Amino acid sequence: MTNVAGARSVGARVKRSEDPRILTGKGRYIDDVVLPGMLHAAFFRSIVPHARLASVDVSAARELPGVIAVYTGEEIKTRTKANQAGTVIGMNNMPGMKSPWFHALATDKVRFVGDPIALVVAESRYVAEDACELIVEDYEMLDPIVTYEHALDPSRPPIFDELGDNIAMTAEMAIGDIDAAFSKADRVVSATISVHRHQNVPMEGRGSIASWDPGTEQLTIHTSTQSPHMVRMLLAPQIDVPLERIRVIAGDVGGAFGLKTGLFREDVALAVASMDLGRPVKWVEDRSEHLSSSGQAREEMADLEAAVTDDGLLLAVKMNVKLNAGAYPCDPFPGAMFANSISGSFQGPTQIEAIAATTTAVFSNKATYVAYRGPWATADFVRERLLDIIARELEIDPIDIRRRNYVVRDEPPLAMLSGQPFTGVTTRESLEQAAELVDWEGFRRRQFAARDQGRYLGLGIASYLEAAPGPRNPAVGAGGGIMGNEVTHVSIERDGKTVIITQQHPHGQGHETTLAQVAADELGVRFEDITVRYGDTDITPVALVATGGSRAATMANGAVLHASRELRTKILSLTSALLEANPDDLQITEGVVSVKGSPGSNMSIVEIARIIEQQPERLPEGIDLELKVTGSYDGGMGGWSGGTHCCLVEVDVETGLVHIDRYVVVEDCGVPVNPAIVEGQVRGGVTQGIGAVLFERSSYGDDGQFLASTFMDYLLPTTTVVPNFEIHHVDTIALDPDVNFRGVGEGGMIVSPAAITNAIEDALAPLGVKVREQHLPPARILELLGTVVAE
Amino acid sequence: MTGEQAIRLTVNGTARSATAEVRMTLADFLRDRLALTGTHLGCEHGVCGACTVLVDGEAVRSCLMLAVQARGHDVVTVEGLADGDRMHSVQQAFWESHSFQCGFCTPGFVMSTVALLRENSDVDEQEVREALSGNICRCTGYQSIVEGVLLAARRAREEGSVL
Repeated sequence: MTNVAGARSVGARVKRSEDPRILTGKGRYIDDVVLPGMLHAAFFRSIVPHARLASVDVSAARELPGVIAVYTGEEIKTRTKANQAGTVIGMNNMPGMKSPWFHALATDKVRFVGDPIALVVAESRYVAEDACELIVEDYEMLDPIVTYEHALDPSRPPIFDELGDNIAMTAEMAIGDIDAAFSKADRVVSATISVHRHQNVPMEGRGSIASWDPGTEQLTIHTSTQSPHMVRMLLAPQIDVPLERIRVIAGDVGGAFGLKTGLFREDVALAVASMDLGRPVKWVEDRSEHLSSSGQAREEMADLEAAVTDDGLLLAVKMNVKLNAGAYPCDPFPGAMFANSISGSFQGPTQIEAIAATTTAVFSNKATYVAYRGPWATADFVRERLLDIIARELEIDPIDIRRRNYVVRDEPPLAMLSGQPFTGVTTRESLEQAAELVDWEGFRRRQFAARDQGRYLGLGIASYLEAAPGPRNPAVGAGGGIMGNEVTHVSIERDGKTVIITQQHPHGQGHETTLAQVAADELGVRFEDITVRYGDTDITPVALVATGGSRAATMANGAVLHASRELRTKILSLTSALLEANPDDLQITEGVVSVKGSPGSNMSIVEIARIIEQQPERLPEGIDLELKVTGSYDGGMGGWSGGTHCCLVEVDVETGLVHIDRYVVVEDCGVPVNPAIVEGQVRGGVTQGIGAVLFERSSYGDDGQFLASTFMDYLLPTTTVVPNFEIHHVDTIALDPDVNFRGVGEGGMIVSPAAITNAIEDALAPLGVKVREQHLPPARILELLGTVVAE
Repeated sequence: MTGEQAIRLTVNGTARSATAEVRMTLADFLRDRLALTGTHLGCEHGVCGACTVLVDGEAVRSCLMLAVQARGHDVVTVEGLADGDRMHSVQQAFWESHSFQCGFCTPGFVMSTVALLRENSDVDEQEVREALSGNICRCTGYQSIVEGVLLAARRAREEGSVL
């Protein structure tokens, strides 16, 4: 950016610091890392969903020239400790949860198509894959567990024998007076709403290099991750290497969307191989491995009974939630735990008085359930679909039912059922602004007229409220949430340049740019003179989740802002001694400290750094010469993210194709540090929602076979099906004196499936179509229309 | 399997020579044998477009072409566009448009765009969207990429920037 003296960097569309390397092919992603003596790995994987592994013969594979080693599950088992996912951060023993023990590779059984059975290490990936072709395995087939019915059927075999059945978790939740609320109701509206299995699909899949140094007995893991420290914490106990001898390095990461928050079983096997061979071992998955084995998300459903009044007020809901958690639980966030988030996050911006839920998560012979951008998204989908279902039954317009149910700021209820205050909520403003932008009444007239021509237009609306981080809750404390405070280092180096060391691990969010924008303003230094460093556990502050959960906007920016402010005070204190001026009379502009009103009296930060290094005697005895601050930030007063989305569609009832005519977003993410980056997050999130509804499905046959292992089967949205987005902002309510940047990564993804499906049902309502699911590709639209017979 | 074959070709304007097995893809050859890691592999079955390079000026998926097929041909990768520290006009337009996020699909979009605009810089939004429909980006929702292409196209038409 061209720096105008005194101009603020925050709020400007500063060009990203990341882009010159990314655009010219100089990014460093995991497969670009080459280490001396490096070997290449491939995993031999199960082709069946559920079987006892009678034998695995790797002898021919070992004989192949170029093969260095082959490890079976039994061999890995002897060199590692069994793992119970979630143990390290205590997510394995949530109430009602059952957690199996397992190893990196399959031993006695295979549990999904893609389950790793053996690891081949060779001179090249080509040879490693050749060797996989020579492995001969013998399966004793077991009945597959694919559906909820299979999982709850006691006659089907347990996937983990020691657990006895296939129930991963059961839980009950009751909040508010459910009976009183139901007794006030005029009617009960029932519906079953489901979400299909789909997945993150970053363009760069998973990959790691394990590199054991036999001399220092240190293990370095280069990996594609969102959370370098988490990888280290989870790996150490399994391979019995002390934490301090494991270093995790991550460079550019080609997307993650929640997938890369923890440790993968494959990483454990790679570490074992490198320690055994004393050489670096690289594994980069191919797309088929990624789709079948990296992780999948969202397969959930809810049976609902809603207590409503005849004028459309949703008083209470009883829900029976199910979640299909797949096979091996994800480490450290077992999929079953997300079942609770559907009831826990259901309220959103509504005034609902009570929620009662029974949840059941089941194991199945499918890939591991993982977090995906807004892992509670089904809660928003269910709520916003249910509001439309109630509206249709009561013949109320969807916008009006939202006007009746969404809270009004500073009017009761002032807090959610959970106790989280509604302080600063702007849902109603976003709703009205969105309705005006799409010309709600005018659309209804056009919609009506179009039907006479056999054209079916639809308008869907949905709102959300996201605690990113949420207003400071007097009952709970800091807004930082369960992941704790954010720690950052900000320092002036010997050459006078600024270095930020963040605990974030950006993978597309542009934190090298945004954190430097915040520091530039606070310190008064040039944006170009700031470097943001991350991705090396030897230097970065420990973080459970580095970049995830829409934390960075508030937490990382807040940490940088306050640490920079403290550093500025130190700089002013030193300069005050050198210029013999009162610190209060000093200012810093473009990296130069000067006396206000007499710009001739000044000193650059470069010069100050030089004096500290070379002429410390010029400074008073005992003054702090350390131009380095470690800041810890608790989220301050926090604040809500949220907004309203409107989707306008036309459905072709001959072909079942849905065309998105317009997509309008009115959102509140506080103060945008860089509006261009905010818009990118919103558009990207909505596009994943479009994919979820119109294209993507991690499809399994009833026999448990995986049916979507290529991009010909797992369809992603492309340029010709994604519209231009109209993004608008509401006037945010600032709750904190300094930090009102709020998370924006997840919002687009969590609310867009509801806006799109609501629009499709709105279009097809005159034809009697009821939408109770999220996946609506053309074939399914034709089934709902009765044009083709449902399977 | 067959042994290594000698392959001579031109890459980014320079004569290069290395060996590869017959089955080695052009993408792996560029990455592993010539250390040009700007070309990315996103699917290895010709759908995502991340590995797009120019072969004799045409956009080609280097995951679907064998290195031996590129013998004697002229290959341009994403590393071959900038002039020292000066970005290519398409790269510059993408930078100014905030076109990308994680950057993994980016080299493919850059190369597809260069091929498109060299053929015809008088393109409208719909033509850009159709031309880039074989490149997948998971981060951006495409709007910022399309804006970048249109900016580069306009500069080529109005300011004569080199494509």
